[in-house]
Amino acid sequence: MDSFVRPCYQVEKHEGYTVVKLEASLDFTNCKVFETQVEEISSNVYVVVNCDSLPELPKDWLRCLLKMHLNTKRDNKFLKLIHVNGMLQSCLKREGIDTTFRVAKDLRDALQETGLAPKRTLDTEFINPFLTATVHVLKVQAQIEATAGQIYMKKPREVMTGDISGVIGIISDTFDGSVVISFPEKTFLKVISSMLGEEYTKIDQEIVDGAGELTNMIFGQAKIVLNEKGYGIKTAIPSVISGKDHSLSALTKGPVVVVPFTTPHGKFFVEICLSQ
Amino acid sequence: MFDPKTKVLVVDDMLTMRKIVTKILKELGFSDIHEAQDGQEAWDKCQTGGFGLIISDWNMPNCTGLEFLRRIRADQKLAKTPFLLVTAEAEQSQVAEAIKCGVDQYVVKPFSKDALKVKLESTYKKVSVRLAA
Repeated sequence: MDSFVRPCYQVEKHEGYTVVKLEASLDFTNCKVFETQVEEISSNVYVVVNCDSLPELPKDWLRCLLKMHLNTKRDNKFLKLIHVNGMLQSCLKREGIDTTFRVAKDLRDALQETGLAPKRTLDTEFINPFLTATVHVLKVQAQIEATAGQIYMKKPREVMTGDISGVIGIISDTFDGSVVISFPEKTFLKVISSMLGEEYTKIDQEIVDGAGELTNMIFGQAKIVLNEKGYGIKTAIPSVISGKDHSLSALTKGPVVVVPFTTPHGKFFVEICLSQ
Repeated sequence: MFDPKTKVLVVDDMLTMRKIVTKILKELGFSDIHEAQDGQEAWDKCQTGGFGLIISDWNMPNCTGLEFLRRIRADQKLAKTPFLLVTAEAEQSQVAEAIKCGVDQYVVKPFSKDALKVKLESTYKKVSVRLAA
């Protein structure tokens, strides 16, 4: 995506339910467009309206939500608001409709009674964006060609070791997980030297956060792809573990997939964990 | 394109990323490059800095790039400073929020020298139009 757009709502259609994300920049013109889609959005499906970062709802938009609410009732479904903050709660109360809409904490909570809450698994749809992102990041930022090896499930007592690792939590409404990128010292020094255009011979404070930045870039690239598919992964800040042959455990309990990579300068691996 | 004599402020909590941006800027001919490690430090430097271009990371502790941008645009003296956001996550809703706050351009990590150059040229064109208006 390389152009500026100004959408003030997004609609994600899933099997049996639809998520409508409203942005803080709700305006009258977009409301008119939205109004024409209300019937299509809310017919015969559960509707979840994500109000994250929404301070208030203009009257025209409230009217659209009420129409959707009535449509869902007509079809024996429901409309629920999620991520409702204090300001929005006050706004709904002011308008006298604070008891009209059902409110849930998040998407998983909203869909719990329907059995439709999305379940995520460590499948190729989830893993491939991380694999592609790793190759892309190393190529663009360090001019290094990385090749993914055979992906495998980590055994329960298998211990992976590295000299420097970047770790980032995967947080969403419906699942949690983590991504770890771990390098032997030799590979990391070559990658960083290539990224910064200077020769580094030891891991010190000047370059240690490079592992975090690489993790951040890989996570960011994968997140764009996964969120376009409705995963709803939130922003996170990476941390770095440094120390000769340190061992790693995932941030969450669940199956762990290991993706080994090779480069002309040595090996490294990426671990992806998803909680059940 | 920007005059290479332009005084540039590079803002990022990651030292490595500041080094990458600084390296590319030097390759593009810039020499007067200063650094800050979060929005708060950058804001303090802007009070006396006289920067002609700000390149800031988005996701930082203390004061994010977006909060820093809001403060710059709300300040009468600094409001017209060209501002380029660097981000690892260019989702539509985030981009819309950045435009609302008055960003001139954004660049998605990872990026090459050529990609940053294109974004800088685009920023320069936008700012030229703004200043001429």
